[in-house]
Amino acid sequence: MKHVLAALLIALPLAAPAQEIREIIEEDIVGGFVALEEKTAAMVEAAGQDCTHPGLYDSYAAAFLAWARVSHLRFGPSEEENRAFALAYWPDPRGRTAKALRKMLADGDEAVLSQEAYADMSIAARGFYALDYLLHEEDLAEIGTAEYRCALVRVIVADIHGTTGELAEAWDAFAPMLTEPGADSPYRTEAEVLQVLYKSVSTGLEFAVDMRLGRPLGTFERPRPRWAEAYRSGLSLALLQEAVRGAGRLAVRLAAGDADVQARLKAELEDFHESAAALNDPVFASVAEPVGRFRVESLQTDLQEVREVVQVALGPALGVSAGFNSMDGD
Amino acid sequence: MPTRRGFLAGLLASGLAPRASWADAGSPAYLAAAKLPSGAFALFGLSAAGGRLFEIPLPGRGHAAAAHPGRPLAVAFARRPGHFALVIDCVSGEVVRRLDTPEGSHFYGHGVFSADGGMLFTTENEFETGRGVIGMWDATGGYARLGAMPSGGVGPHELRLMPDGETLVIANGGIETHPEAGRLKLNIPTMRPNLSYVSVDGAVVEQVEPPEAWHRNSMRHIAVRGDGVIAVACQWQGPMAKVPPLLATHRMGEALDFHDLGMEKDVQGYLGSVAFSGSGEEIAVTGPRGGVAVVADADGRMLRRLEERDICGVAPGAEGFVFTTGEGRVLTGHGAAGALARHGCAWDNHLVPIG
Repeated sequence: MKHVLAALLIALPLAAPAQEIREIIEEDIVGGFVALEEKTAAMVEAAGQDCTHPGLYDSYAAAFLAWARVSHLRFGPSEEENRAFALAYWPDPRGRTAKALRKMLADGDEAVLSQEAYADMSIAARGFYALDYLLHEEDLAEIGTAEYRCALVRVIVADIHGTTGELAEAWDAFAPMLTEPGADSPYRTEAEVLQVLYKSVSTGLEFAVDMRLGRPLGTFERPRPRWAEAYRSGLSLALLQEAVRGAGRLAVRLAAGDADVQARLKAELEDFHESAAALNDPVFASVAEPVGRFRVESLQTDLQEVREVVQVALGPALGVSAGFNSMDGD
Repeated sequence: MPTRRGFLAGLLASGLAPRASWADAGSPAYLAAAKLPSGAFALFGLSAAGGRLFEIPLPGRGHAAAAHPGRPLAVAFARRPGHFALVIDCVSGEVVRRLDTPEGSHFYGHGVFSADGGMLFTTENEFETGRGVIGMWDATGGYARLGAMPSGGVGPHELRLMPDGETLVIANGGIETHPEAGRLKLNIPTMRPNLSYVSVDGAVVEQVEPPEAWHRNSMRHIAVRGDGVIAVACQWQGPMAKVPPLLATHRMGEALDFHDLGMEKDVQGYLGSVAFSGSGEEIAVTGPRGGVAVVADADGRMLRRLEERDICGVAPGAEGFVFTTGEGRVLTGHGAAGALARHGCAWDNHLVPIG
């Protein structure tokens, strides 16, 4: 009897049974991109009324946050046609977004103002970060005409909406590749599906730690508050929270088959979200003074602890290898 | 009266001291960087049978090393974006020079000596312009920076010296990075990798690139055969559903040929290293993400396949090839059946042949 039980235990799935995977794909992935498309549709409507209207800001913030929620999913339809890049060109250490937009404003080129033409523009001039700059960079008011600026806002909004529409449709069509791995799918086994989902969690959290928090933190000698994501619109912290909600929820669901790992993930995520909610510094502006810096650093530590559980517990529970060379990427 | 130490220093400075050779370091066949169980990093000299001949501490994770053709000197490069490389005396184990990239540049992790050992060439990123460059260093003594020349593309990774001794062949991976964004790839939608042949005086002699549809096939690592045939190992940066062949071969003046090995998905579109066998009749590529290595003939036809977790380093060996893994194994081309040695360390990406 003992032996039979032992054999049964070994044969049990390690984590994330098929039903859980199905729900992840349908609810969080396809559902997440559908929600994003809905939010960008609301943004199009607001921009159509008045491109300086406060309602535009609200719908823009809601759409940007909906993007952050799915921004860790960089494979499949998000990778195809450079769609994720077309929505989110950041970080931008060479300042290409600013250069491209300033040039357009200075030139006043009408030919780029159709949605079709804009879809062929340099990706640095497209997406949420371009819109963030255009709506919130103060000295832009002196370049070109107000009408042109407004038309540019509208075309970027329309372009974002177009991309999110493609994403919602393409993810819906792609879902069976993930729920039914095999010969007709790029993923031949459930293990490969788990691997790509796990990698999304892991790279999403890495990006949050190193870029979303790491860039404004800079170094102790040289903090870089102006390197915070979307600091102009005041959304830096909110984007971080939403990104961690997205990647964190995926991590928790992937751990469904291992109650211990799942409980540890939930506890670490809760710590992070409590610290984030208590931060009271929406753009990490305080990284340059000691107390503020300490708090942002400790938020980063909280997130590192989430990552740690993902790496040392979730990965092995899913049977995902994390070899010295295979994870290096060089 | 001059002191003995002063006398020796004078001899060294004048280049009259009897030159040490690789024999003084135990005649290693290979160099490899590794992570030790303690978490520290080291550069190892390995015998042809995979035995440890020396072990020299490194300050951080290495990537590849360059072996001096005559003297027992190794240049160890930090993992990108690294700002320094160490010239190590493999007899004494001491760091004899530290090379720092000029302001605005960093190393990409590979380097090669000139045929006479007098110059060292290094792949670098001039990051404010995003231009790939080849740094040139005086390897006869002080390792002074002699200058830099264009690599012919963006993100140069591995470079090798052609058999003529006067041309460098460079895998420009096409991927733009910036130290302010860490290891993040900034230009995937627009990347254009290429293979460039650049003469040591800086002239771009020839360039070939993958077809437009495969512009995300980052050419990273290369091996050179004695007759000038190049094998290129790529890393696909696009959707896995569209993964193209990852091994290419090229001969100057001819077209770039890609070879489908039927394992592109198994390795998740990512090859780690490439080598020709000692005879030149075979090519081996490693896919650490699939725990797979594939041996093909020199025309790129798949011959056999090895399964071994985290396999990555490969170099010519007595029985065709020698492979290293992130789990400490040193193997022949026969895979686990041909285990040469097992060490308690994790071998890093590359196994560098000496001589």
